[in-house]
Amino acid sequence: MKPSFSTRAVAFLASAALLAVTACSAGSGTSSGSSPGADQKLSIGLVAEPASLDFTTTDGAAIPQALLGNVYETLVKQDDSGKIVPSLAKSWTVSPDRKTYTFDLVDNAKFTNDKQFTANDAVFSINRVKTAWTTSLKAAMDVVSQAKALSPTQLQVTLTKPSNDWLFRMTTRIGAMFSESGVSALATAPVGSGPFKFSKWNRGDSIVMVRNDNYWGSKPFFQQITLKYFKDATALNNALLTGTINVVGTVQAPEALSQFTSNDKYQVIEGTTNGEVLLSFNNSLPLFKDVRTRQGIRMAIDHKALLDTCWAGRGKLIGSMVPPTDPWYEDLTGVAPYDLAKAKSLLQASGAAGKTLRLRLPTLPYATSCGQVVKSQLEQAGLKVAIDQLEFPAAWLTTVFKNADYDMSIIAHVEPRDLGAVFNPKYYTRYDDPTLQGYLAAADSGDEAAQVDNLKKAARRLSEQAAGDWLFLLPNLMVADKSVKGLPTNAITENFDLSKLAR
Amino acid sequence: MKRLNPSLIAGGVIVAVIVLMALVSFVWTPYDATLVSPASRLLEPSWSHWFGTDKFGRDILSQIMVGSRTTLFVGVVAVGVAAVIGVPLGILAAMVRRWPSEVIMRANDLLLAFPALLLAIMFGAVFGASTLTAMIAIGIASVPSFARVIRSGALQVMRTEYVLAARAAGRQPFPIALRHVLPNVTSLITVQASVSFAIAVLAEAALSFLGYGTPPPTPSWGRMLQESQEFLFSAPRLAIFPGIAIAIAVLGFNLLGDGLRDRFDPKLEDRR
Amino acid sequence: MILRLIERTGVFLVSLVVSSVLVFAFMAVLPGDPARVALGVNASDEAVAELRRQFGLDRSLPTQYFDWLGGLLRGDLGTSYVSKAAIGPQVFDRLQVTLWLVVAGMIIALVVAAPAGTVMAARHRKISGLALSAFSQVGVAVPAFLAGILLIVVFAVRLGWLPANGWTPPAQDPAMFLKQLILPALSLGLVQGAVLTRYVRSAVLEVLREDYLRTARAKGLRPFQALWRHGLRNAAVPVVTVLGLQLATLLIGAVVVERVFVIPGLGSLLLDGVSNRDLLLVQDVVMVLVIAVLLVNFVVDLLYVALDPRLRTAS
Repeated sequence: MKPSFSTRAVAFLASAALLAVTACSAGSGTSSGSSPGADQKLSIGLVAEPASLDFTTTDGAAIPQALLGNVYETLVKQDDSGKIVPSLAKSWTVSPDRKTYTFDLVDNAKFTNDKQFTANDAVFSINRVKTAWTTSLKAAMDVVSQAKALSPTQLQVTLTKPSNDWLFRMTTRIGAMFSESGVSALATAPVGSGPFKFSKWNRGDSIVMVRNDNYWGSKPFFQQITLKYFKDATALNNALLTGTINVVGTVQAPEALSQFTSNDKYQVIEGTTNGEVLLSFNNSLPLFKDVRTRQGIRMAIDHKALLDTCWAGRGKLIGSMVPPTDPWYEDLTGVAPYDLAKAKSLLQASGAAGKTLRLRLPTLPYATSCGQVVKSQLEQAGLKVAIDQLEFPAAWLTTVFKNADYDMSIIAHVEPRDLGAVFNPKYYTRYDDPTLQGYLAAADSGDEAAQVDNLKKAARRLSEQAAGDWLFLLPNLMVADKSVKGLPTNAITENFDLSKLAR
Repeated sequence: MKRLNPSLIAGGVIVAVIVLMALVSFVWTPYDATLVSPASRLLEPSWSHWFGTDKFGRDILSQIMVGSRTTLFVGVVAVGVAAVIGVPLGILAAMVRRWPSEVIMRANDLLLAFPALLLAIMFGAVFGASTLTAMIAIGIASVPSFARVIRSGALQVMRTEYVLAARAAGRQPFPIALRHVLPNVTSLITVQASVSFAIAVLAEAALSFLGYGTPPPTPSWGRMLQESQEFLFSAPRLAIFPGIAIAIAVLGFNLLGDGLRDRFDPKLEDRR
Repeated sequence: MILRLIERTGVFLVSLVVSSVLVFAFMAVLPGDPARVALGVNASDEAVAELRRQFGLDRSLPTQYFDWLGGLLRGDLGTSYVSKAAIGPQVFDRLQVTLWLVVAGMIIALVVAAPAGTVMAARHRKISGLALSAFSQVGVAVPAFLAGILLIVVFAVRLGWLPANGWTPPAQDPAMFLKQLILPALSLGLVQGAVLTRYVRSAVLEVLREDYLRTARAKGLRPFQALWRHGLRNAAVPVVTVLGLQLATLLIGAVVVERVFVIPGLGSLLLDGVSNRDLLLVQDVVMVLVIAVLLVNFVVDLLYVALDPRLRTAS
């Protein structure tokens, strides 16, 4: 396994946490926005509160969602269209052998502990991934052989082999820039150079961030943004309805959207995410080694009906592991169309018909909901399905993710560009396919055109081989007070960019 | 007592209906309670679906019927666990000498400090959430009330002449407990079982609501209520039917308990 | 009486120690290493060993127990293996929140139950009494979270009078605090009130039959007057007992209402701890809840002695 595709940790969204920011005028709703301070405050309702603020040692989507790009900055970042653009690095060059990157850094960035950001901090941060990080995401940095400061504003990074994926990963949490003297209490007191300062964490309730008035770039509109965490999708909606928050950052109860669409006090945003809801197969089991079983299952599922039933028709049907915002996206929904008769005969032929498969679901809303539809549809094609719910995260991670003790499962893989990471013999899918690995290696080392071309081939290969079934792509669903501006249509990065929000 | 006992009748009828509903659901329901049919999702109540359908197109009435099995099952197991531990403990505490008895009852009081929800959550942390762990936790949490009630009943029995006679005749404690004490506290057991049943039904609903109860797709009233949350505005009936079912079941078992108590001890008729 | 006080205190202290052993033992026999659980499935063996050393999990169980107990006595609940934050302040904050909620709920329950139960007893053969009885039976049968959901739908979402959820500390914004407290306190209080009503009713019925009350009525006092002057103190004894038991159950029972109303109370902290497998946090919260319950029972015992003149002399 090449490092950039080595098993990356937990790439699902804890509770399908799409990036969302809610702004709230200090509890009293937009209508009372008359007091001067209220307009400068925003409160955003989210699900899945982080257990710690330290993403160097704690997995999960919630921490980077809150901190990355807001408190911590990276050298490069993704823009709305998915392109890699400058951030703390003004520009960069790649050597002809594609192994050496030279970054020119901004000279006026400052950490909130008053230390200047320099190339030394960048070297420190990159090396620290290898030495101090404990999450498995750190493996993306294995390809770096050396990072050194050529001058306070110039950084040179040498790779052991060409890797397109590395630069992309630098836009994610592993690219976060830390201050050498600001890493003593990462779990409770993060220090970064971003447009917001971490202010307060009311555990079990909210994280408060305030504007960093010394920010080197353009300053954000809001003086204070509160991320308020809810365990229950209905409570989250209710909080917006009664003015406790200004934005529902991620709608987890899509059926309840109608109450907002029919009310002109609110705006509803619907876009895409990176969250492919995957019906995963345990490809190490003999039954799933037979491609006819896998294809039979794919063709037994009526995706349109499934999406309508379990996620209120919100979301996009995809036929492979690529969201439409990636440059190598192709519509592959036609590769294995719904065909009950054909599914039955495929399942007969592979000997799967009549067998009982365990569908081990995490306790997440979409999984619980869609699992019941999957069961019903597969049973019509002659399989027996036994649903078994495992508490998420702890029980599911141990049983399915770590020990691969399952036949099928459903989980949204929310990490960006995770095709290679997910369909990998070491990952819980146990999918071992040299042809696929060949495409992926070629994509990583080639130039941009080769990358797109090979990843297209890889996506098609996955779909044709039915390595899993992509039930649908989670929608980016947000609801907000009409006055809130700057909410992203598509949520395709790990972070929720709070600096663009305004009123 | 010639007087009509309305609590007993009302409670008895309600419980009988629920049991009947559960039994019937084994052989017949209007629809397959777990069959997903997207074409008929979220239907209003009508002649073909009396209570309408949920978001999976499943018939609500059929689910309520099958769900009554879960409710009864939870109650039976929880009450069973409580009775199997609590009754012998209570009788034992009544029959042994003062010191050991005191220790038993203090231990019993200590268990009161671990309410059903707390135990169920702790068990969930250890064994994972499931109907069975929830039921056992609820059962254990109901032990103290059983032990307490049975002890006071058994103490009275121990003072009756036939027990004193049996003891004088040199009977061993165990046969006395079995032959004399147990039969005379069955009425108390029935009353307590009925009351604990109601508590178990409520606890299961609360646990299912928190996600520590019955996992899908097994129909459970508590989970139906939880699943109905996102439809509170568009289809409140999804919450109303299981909510009413839970309330009626709890009401039924409480009334039955009250009625039985009056029946067995007419003196207490007005004191509950 | 002094003897009884000493005995009660002794029982209380022994119960505390025994329950601390139980809670510790329960968490200690858990399958799985707390350090591995805290670090997640991807942690390396070295990282796990390091965490075990850091938190003293490599010591013998008795040492760990006494260390934990000593901490409890000093008010130091230790540091979470998962979030690396001190547990004590969190538990203290959350306990306050839950206490506000539970106490407010109990006050509502008492305000509902005392008059309703008394009327039910005084008119127990009349229509008004029977109607109230039936009403309380129904109240007992409604789960508190269902009551909460219904209250939100009606008063928050449809009428818009009160916030649907949330929590503001009273020191920060007293008005908002009260607004947000009303609905959750009502959903706890009404259901508990229905339960309590039944006990008030039987307590009052009992008192009504006592000789001194008959004497008082014979002296020409009207029923409610007689009850007011002579009966309430006696009726209060069983009611206080039940109140204590309810208070104890509510401390954890409030978790469901906390979930419905998004209130960061102790129950929610426990649920979070369980789902994050933050085992020390779970152990601490369980212990604090158990201490609270035992303490309430202890206080009820003392009140019992103080309230009932007959009990002062009897053993």
